[in-house]
Amino acid sequence: MHFLAYIVRQTGKNLRQTWGTQVMTLLTVTLSVLLFAFFFLIYTNMLRASARLGDDLRLIVYLDQEIPEQKRPEIEKKIRDFGPVEKIIFVSRTEAFSRLSAQLDKEKDVLNDLGPDFLPPSIEVYPLKNLQDLTKISQFSDFLLTLPHAAKVQSGSDWLRRFGDFTNLLQVVVLLSGVLLIISMTFIISYTLRLTVVSRQGELEILRLLGATSAYIRLPLLLEGMLQGFLGSSLGLGALYLLYQWIASRFSGPGFLNLFDFAFFPPELTAAILLASVVLCTGGSLFSIRRFIRI
Amino acid sequence: MYYYGLAVIRRVSPVGSKKVFHMPRDASTDKPLVELVNVAKIYPPDIVALEDVSLRIYKGEIFFLTGMSGAGKTTLIKLICRLETPTRGLIEVAGRDLSRISPAGIQRMRQKIGIAYQDFRLLEKQTVLQNIAMAMEVTYASTKAIHARVDELLALLNLSDKRDKLTGELSRGEQQRVALARAAANGPSLLLADEPTGNLDPAATELVINLFRHLNEKNGSTIVVATHDKSIYAETEHRVMDLRKGHLSAHPNRAPRQIELFEA
Ligand SMILES: Nc1ncnc2c1ncn2[C@@H]1O[C@H](COP(=O)(O)OP(=O)(O)OP(=O)(O)O)[C@@H](O)[C@H]1O
Ligand SMILES: [Mg+2]
Repeated sequence: MHFLAYIVRQTGKNLRQTWGTQVMTLLTVTLSVLLFAFFFLIYTNMLRASARLGDDLRLIVYLDQEIPEQKRPEIEKKIRDFGPVEKIIFVSRTEAFSRLSAQLDKEKDVLNDLGPDFLPPSIEVYPLKNLQDLTKISQFSDFLLTLPHAAKVQSGSDWLRRFGDFTNLLQVVVLLSGVLLIISMTFIISYTLRLTVVSRQGELEILRLLGATSAYIRLPLLLEGMLQGFLGSSLGLGALYLLYQWIASRFSGPGFLNLFDFAFFPPELTAAILLASVVLCTGGSLFSIRRFIRI
Repeated sequence: MYYYGLAVIRRVSPVGSKKVFHMPRDASTDKPLVELVNVAKIYPPDIVALEDVSLRIYKGEIFFLTGMSGAGKTTLIKLICRLETPTRGLIEVAGRDLSRISPAGIQRMRQKIGIAYQDFRLLEKQTVLQNIAMAMEVTYASTKAIHARVDELLALLNLSDKRDKLTGELSRGEQQRVALARAAANGPSLLLADEPTGNLDPAATELVINLFRHLNEKNGSTIVVATHDKSIYAETEHRVMDLRKGHLSAHPNRAPRQIELFEA
C-alpha cells in the first residue's frame, strides 16, 4: 500500500513549496478560531451564569390595597396567561411586616413606632428561569402594572436586565465571528490552494501526461486543506486555553470569575469546534480543486 | 496499403531469427494493438494535419513513421494517447475505442503507454531522478523499485553520472535521453517516441536504438518511432511508413529495396 505514502509525501512537498503562504494561512485559521472560540466561550459562560442568576429573579408588584383571599386565583390566572411563571406569592401587609422584622432581628425595635401597616402588600412573581424570560422582563413588568390595584413594579435589579441585553449582544457577536470564521477559512484555504496549484502547474500538466489518476492529484491538495484546518484550530483552541488558564490564575479567589464559575469548553464542544474547522477547510480546498484543476 | 508493408516484413524476416517473435502475426486473425480507421485531424480553423489515415500497429512491432516537418507525425502520436481527439474516424488502442473511454480510463491507459515528447516535457527544476521517478510514482511503485529502474535506464543511456542533476542544466541531447528514460520507465506495452534522436550524435543514437531493442525483446513493448533520422530506420527490417499531405503510405525509399528482398 504505497498509495497513502505518496499522498502524504506529496502533501509534504506542497507545504514546503509554498511554506511562506502556508504559515500565513495557518495563522489566519488560528486567529479566526481563536476569535470565534473566545467570544463563544464568554457566551456559553454567560448563558450558564444567567441561568443561575435567574433563580433569584423575581418581579414584585406593590399594591395600594390588600387583595382578598377569594380574588387571588383570578389574578394568578391572569398572570399565568401572560407568560410562563414558576410561582406566585401573595404577601399581605402583616406578612411583609413580619418578614422585615425577622430580617432585622435584634434591631426590630425601630419598627415599633411604625405599626404593622407601614409596608404595602405585594405579589411576588417568579418567572420561569431562562434567558428568553430574562429579556422579556420589561414587557412582563409593564403587564403587571395593569393589574388591579398595582401601584409599582420592581423588576429585579436593573443590572440583571443589562446582563440579559449583554448576553443578547454577545450572541450577535458570536454569530458574526462565526460567519467571519466560515468566510475567512474557506477563502484563505481556497486562495492558498490556488497558489499551490499555480506553483505546481507545470508538474500537474506532466502528471496528467504520465497518467496520474485524479485521486493522485487531488488527494494531496485535499489533505493540505484538512491539515491546515486541524493544525489551525488546534493552535487557536490551545491559545484560548492558555489565555483561560492565565486569566483563571490571575483572578482566582473570590471575585467576578468565581461568581460566574468561569469554565472552559467541555471536551465534546472542543472536539466539535475542531471538527467544524477541519470540515470548513476541507470544503475550501474542495472548492478550489474543482475550480482550478481540470483533471 | 499497410497490408503491403506487413506482407513484406513477414517475408523478409529470416525464419529462426531471434527477431521473429516480434514480427506482426497474421493480420486477419490478430487484433492490432493500435488501429486507426479513416482518421482525420483538422486543427482550427482549417489546418489539415491528417486527412485520411488508416493504420494498424501490432503487438511487438517496431513501427517507424517518417515525413517532412509538419507532415502530422506528432499529431498522429498525440491522437494515439488521446492528447488530441480526431476530427473524424475511429482510433482503437488494445481493442478499445478511445472516444468511449472515460477520463479516468484514459489516465490508466497512459500509465501503460510511454511517451517521449518531441519537446521532452521535462520539469527543468527537478533532477533527472525526480523526472523519471514521476512516471513510476503515478503507478504507486515502491521507492526501491523506482531507484533500481532509474539506475538501470540511466546506465543503458549512458547518463548514470547525471542522475542528480537538474534537467534544466543538461544539454539537449541529454534531456532527450531523459525523456526517453521516463517514457521507458514503466516498461510500457506501447512506447511512442517522437523524434527521439533529433539531438543525438551517432553514438547516443545507437544507445537509444539499443534501448528500443531491449524494451521490444525483453518486455515485448510495441514501439512507434516518429523520425526524420534516416540512420535509425535505414537498416531496419521493421515497417517504415511515410506521412505526406495528410495521407500515409509505405516509405518511398524503402519500397524498391523491400521489393528486391521480397523477390530474392
Ligand atoms: N495545436 C495545433 N494547432 C494548430 N495547428 C497545429 C497544431 N499542432 C500542429 N498543427 C499543425 O498541424 C500540422 C502537423 O503538425 P505536426 O506537429 O503533427 O507535424 P510533425 O510531422 O510532427 O512535424 P515535425 O517533424 O516538425 O515535428 C502542421 O501544419 C502544424 O502547423
Ligand atoms: Mg513533430
